[in-house]
Amino acid sequence: MQEYVLLMISAALVNNVILARFLGLCSFMGVTTRVDTAVGMGLAATFVITVSSMVDWAVEAFLLQPFGLGYLRTVTFILVIAAATQFTEMTVRKVSPPLFQMLGIYLPLITTNCAVLGVALLLVEGRMSFLTSTLFAFFSSVGYSLVMVIFAGLRERLALAETPLLFSGPPIGFITASLLALAFMGFSGMSH
Amino acid sequence: MSSEDNFLEVSDLQEGIARVVSIENGQVWLEPEQKGSCGSCSSSGSCGSKGIGTVANRLEARRFPIPNEDGLVLGDRVIVGVPGNALVKAALTAYGMPILTMLTGGIFVSGYGDVPTLVGMVFGLVFGLFLARILARRLAAQGALTPQFLRRV
Repeated sequence: MQEYVLLMISAALVNNVILARFLGLCSFMGVTTRVDTAVGMGLAATFVITVSSMVDWAVEAFLLQPFGLGYLRTVTFILVIAAATQFTEMTVRKVSPPLFQMLGIYLPLITTNCAVLGVALLLVEGRMSFLTSTLFAFFSSVGYSLVMVIFAGLRERLALAETPLLFSGPPIGFITASLLALAFMGFSGMSH
Repeated sequence: MSSEDNFLEVSDLQEGIARVVSIENGQVWLEPEQKGSCGSCSSSGSCGSKGIGTVANRLEARRFPIPNEDGLVLGDRVIVGVPGNALVKAALTAYGMPILTMLTGGIFVSGYGDVPTLVGMVFGLVFGLFLARILARRLAAQGALTPQFLRRV
């Protein structure tokens, strides 16, 4: 149990996908104008990252490693992620068309999100068991969602604040993001 | 209902702009207008987000009907509202529920090895999608996912 708690803290906070590893920054800046869209994007990314990481672990364990095909890892994982995104889209559309109408717009953004591929490659590098790998992917995406929601809340407040003209919009957003990254660096002491 | 109650009800809705694309059997079909960063930067001409199966097709897939009680005609641009927490409820139903059941299924059989854990997670995922379908039907029946016509632009 302690192992999983440490894994959760490490994946979500200490080695946060956005603020520590600087992955998924396009969606971080593009979908965080409102808190509810950040929540939608975060949950969609959590689902795709977790499912695609499961499949990536299986492909690595049963196909790439036994046959010495490690050089195909990046291409294979990209294919798996694209397939997982399409699977998610088809599944949501089948489960509930009204849900798909509301949430379907986020899925194309996840296909090209480098955080998905980054998490998959990190868990392969970690050589963990299947459950640990899946939990690592899940907690990494929880950290991704957490930062998206925090940043969306900050941006909503910034939109109402008086900002110098030169800094209004994306510039003040980037400055805020860097301050948030500095704040999250404080978690790195927890790994010792 | 007092005007103050009405104001509070309307302000709980998130507004968006949609266009009437067809009228059938007393219902109008609306298509949301594209907004956001997609396709609006200087590299939009070579961006992979435009083209077959992407923005235009996805907007078409997001068409929704509302009763034509306000005499809307083809091409009208209208403002529609969705309940404020609808997106969060929808996301938790579609993604949160299956993820939780998937992880629960995997954790229960994790002591038997990697392959049984994988199988357990697959069963958990399928069960979670089944639950999500039931919850989504309930939300749709309550009108929590349906946009409401507010006014013309």
